[in-house]
This record gives sequence, C-alpha cells and structure tokens, in this order.
Amino acid sequence: MEFINSIFGLDFSVIRDNWLFFLVGRYPNGPMGGVALTLTLAVGSVFFSGIGGLILGLLAVSQRRWVRWPVNIIIQTFRGVPLLMVIFWFYFFLPAVFGKGFPEISTVLIALTVFTSAYMSQIVKAGIEAIPRGQWEAGVSSGLSRRQVLWQIVLPQALRHMIPSFVNQFVSLIKDTSLAFIVGVSELTHVATQVNNRTLNYPTEIFLFIAVVYFVICSAFTALSRQLEARTTSANANR
Amino acid sequence: MTCIQFPSKVQSKIQFLVVFVSLISILTGISLAAHADVLGDVKKKGTLVVGVKDSLPPFGYVDEKSRDIVGYDIDMAKAVAKKLGVKLELKPVTSANRFPMLSEGNVDLVIATTTKNPERAAQVDFSHAYFLTGQKFIVAKGKVKTLQDLDTARIGTAKGSTSEKNVATSLPKAKVLSYDDYPQAVLALQQGKVQAVTTDEAILAGLLAKMPNKDKYEIPDLKISDEPYGIAIKKGEKGLVDVVNSTLLEMESSGDADKVFAQWFGPNSAAPLKRTFKITAEK
Repeated sequence: MEFINSIFGLDFSVIRDNWLFFLVGRYPNGPMGGVALTLTLAVGSVFFSGIGGLILGLLAVSQRRWVRWPVNIIIQTFRGVPLLMVIFWFYFFLPAVFGKGFPEISTVLIALTVFTSAYMSQIVKAGIEAIPRGQWEAGVSSGLSRRQVLWQIVLPQALRHMIPSFVNQFVSLIKDTSLAFIVGVSELTHVATQVNNRTLNYPTEIFLFIAVVYFVICSAFTALSRQLEARTTSANANR
Repeated sequence: MTCIQFPSKVQSKIQFLVVFVSLISILTGISLAAHADVLGDVKKKGTLVVGVKDSLPPFGYVDEKSRDIVGYDIDMAKAVAKKLGVKLELKPVTSANRFPMLSEGNVDLVIATTTKNPERAAQVDFSHAYFLTGQKFIVAKGKVKTLQDLDTARIGTAKGSTSEKNVATSLPKAKVLSYDDYPQAVLALQQGKVQAVTTDEAILAGLLAKMPNKDKYEIPDLKISDEPYGIAIKKGEKGLVDVVNSTLLEMESSGDADKVFAQWFGPNSAAPLKRTFKITAEK
C-alpha cells in the first residue's frame, strides 16, 4: 500500500478510515449499506430476474396470441426505457399502489428484476427458438404433448446454451445496482459519494477503490458461473 | 427437469390470470393518489421521516466515527421528532428529488437547506426560516473584485437549487454548469473547469474549509441574494406546519437554537459564521 501511495501520490488512508462505512454503511445504527447492500441487491435481483426472465421468455413464445402479445408489449416497453427511468418510475409508482413506506431497497430490487427479466426473456426466447423444429415435431409425433416436449426435450438443451448469455446479463446487472443511488439507497456508489463529498480531497482514491470492488465482485461471479457451466456440460457428457 | 402438470384448460386460465393481473396492477397504480393528514400518520406509525442532505457539511453529512448522518439540519429534525414524541428516520435527498419525495409522501418533512421563495411556496408549505444566509461565490484569490469580473465566467452550482436560478438572473451572460451536488462543483473549480462556485455562504464556507489548497481561494463579499432556509411540508398539512413552527420558536426562546448554531458554525467549527438571525414568526 505504501508503495502504491508513494508512486502515484495517492493517499488511501481515506479508505482505511472509512472501511466499515464502505462495507456496511450505517448498519447497525441505521440501514445497511455499502458493499453489503450492493451484494444483497445483486444476489436478490440475479435470483428473481433469472426466474422472471424464464417466465417472461416462455410466455413470449407461447402459442396463444393473447398471451404472447401483451407479454411482448411489456417486454418491449421495459427494454425501450433507460434503467434509471425504470427505477425512478417505480420509486413513485410502487408506494402509490402498496401504500407509503414501501421500502426503497425493495423498489430498487423490483425495478432491477423487472428490467433485467425483460432482457433475459429475449435470451430465453432465442434459446428456445434455436432448437431445431425437427425436435418439436419428433417429440409430438412420438406422442408427447407440446408441454412435455418443451420441459423435457427443448428447455434442458436450450438452458445450457443460454448460460453464457445469462452470465453476461447478470454481470451487467451487478454493475447496474449502482444506479440505486438516485433514490437514496446507500449502496456502494452512494456511500462512496457520501465519503467523497465529506472529505472532498480523495476522489481518485475513493472511486479507484470502488471500481476495484465492482471488478472483484463481477469477476468472482463470472468464475463461479464458469465452474457451474463446466459441471453441467460434463454431467451432460457423462449421461 | 419436472413441472407441475395442469390440465391445459386450467393452465391457460392461469396464464391469462398472470397477464391480466400484471396489466391491471400497472394501470391502476397510475390513478391512485396519496391521501391527506401527514401529522396523524406520523403519530400513528410513531416515526417521523425527514429528508435531509447526506453529503453537505455542516448541514447534513455522514460522521466518520459514528457512521450516522449528523449536522445542523439533523438537529432541527431531532427537535421536531422530540416535540412529537416519535422516532426519527433520516432519508437522504438531493436538491433535485426532495420536492417529488415530499409530494409523494416518501418523506414527511424536508429539512435540506431549502430556500424559501414564493415560487416554491406555491408547491409546498414552509415553516418559519430556521437559518439565514446569502448566495456568494468561491473564486481564486484576488481574481474577483466586483460582480462584473464574473460577467462571462463559467460558474458551477448544483441542480435544482435556487443558486442555479439566482445566478442565471444576476449574471445572464455567465455560463452556469449544474452539477449533482456542490462538492462536484468544487472539484471542477480546482480543475479549472469553472471559474467560480456559487451557492449559499454557509455551504461555501464548509466547502472552502475542506479544500486542500484553500489558501488559494476566497469568498469575496459579493452577495447576490438572501437565502432564508425553511422546513418544507406537503401543501395543506396545517397541523404539521404548526407543530414544526412552534418547535422552532421554542428552540429560539429556550436558547437551543443558539446552541445548535454554535455547535456547527461556532468559532471552533470548521466553517465559523456569525449568527445574524433569530428564528421569528415573521420570516
């Protein structure tokens, strides 16, 4: 650390002095924040948008037009609006529906989930459409229902192809949690801004530090999913 | 992979329901409006939610040791919560989002260096002024003697603030750059992107005190407006306005208002100022 300090003329003591604040925000005296909140938002929205993306994707390729059309309209709407807008919009929309005091963190979680689900649905849709039609025809002619063909033949193959695109989308999602700051949710970026605005003299150190933290979180997630991917493909090869 | 097998008619009904419910919830949400009587709500839930600045010493900022939001505005919020006998919850707001948050009921009060002016008073109700300051500039030392010296300058300030408006009126030829918050404007000043940063003197003093090369900068005695700060309350909430006002007046008469001022702006503080005002029912 001393070495880096002396070379670039940087002073990372601001990180050391505010270490706990970067990590957990005002917790336990106030709401949780910092890295802990960023991770919570990331894990939560990755989980829910995985499910949401799958559901929306399946509905989007439904054979029934009255299912497919509205779903596609919803998907196109959210894909056509900046995420910042979606968060801001939900921030004022959700309390109007569910009453005052709807927590900001849930708002952000829902906004991230809905937005990312819309993107994920397109991956799911493409994945399903990439499976040759012959498999559908073969399945149906051997007496399976379309549903059985979907769940037992098409999806298992399609999902495996989707994994890299999923990971890509999730990494993007982890970084998108930084947009939560606009509704006053103290995730890592917001916390960094608070410290920066108080100390005023160390913007380089502070924002370099949080860039590294985001990089580490995203890399760790990518490495984890590579392992998962390797395991599912080898399990398939052994079958 | 397995899945629950519904008969296909049931399945199609479920799918229809999912689509229908999500559409309805989106449509109805827009038409629902929030209801009135914030004071009653506050007492019922036992918590007063106050929107404050969290990055603006000494009005509201996160203390390094306690990791809590502290400052002059926060002490005002504490006094109101104490008067009501409820818990205090602080929510960070910015100059740009504080009024939408108030009108949507995300916060009950806004105590965030909010200048009272007639334009805003049409949107929200204000308490008596709890702080009085004036809009000035931070500039490089010795460069600015009169307002003319800033005539065509690039001037930094914060989005959605009265400072942004005032400077455009008093220096129409100047180029005003609005940043997210004042510290970013100060950074721009240090990097030479702007020649001056303008906002209320009390905020400028706090910013100047933190600047690394502060001896190179100064706040010349050029005031372009008076800025009385008020506590903002949703329009038509008379009960809450009365409680807030009586709290402020009691603080003045008991000497608490003096103490709070001395703590954040006294001679030993980072940004010493003189208390040139009293909280009265007139302002």
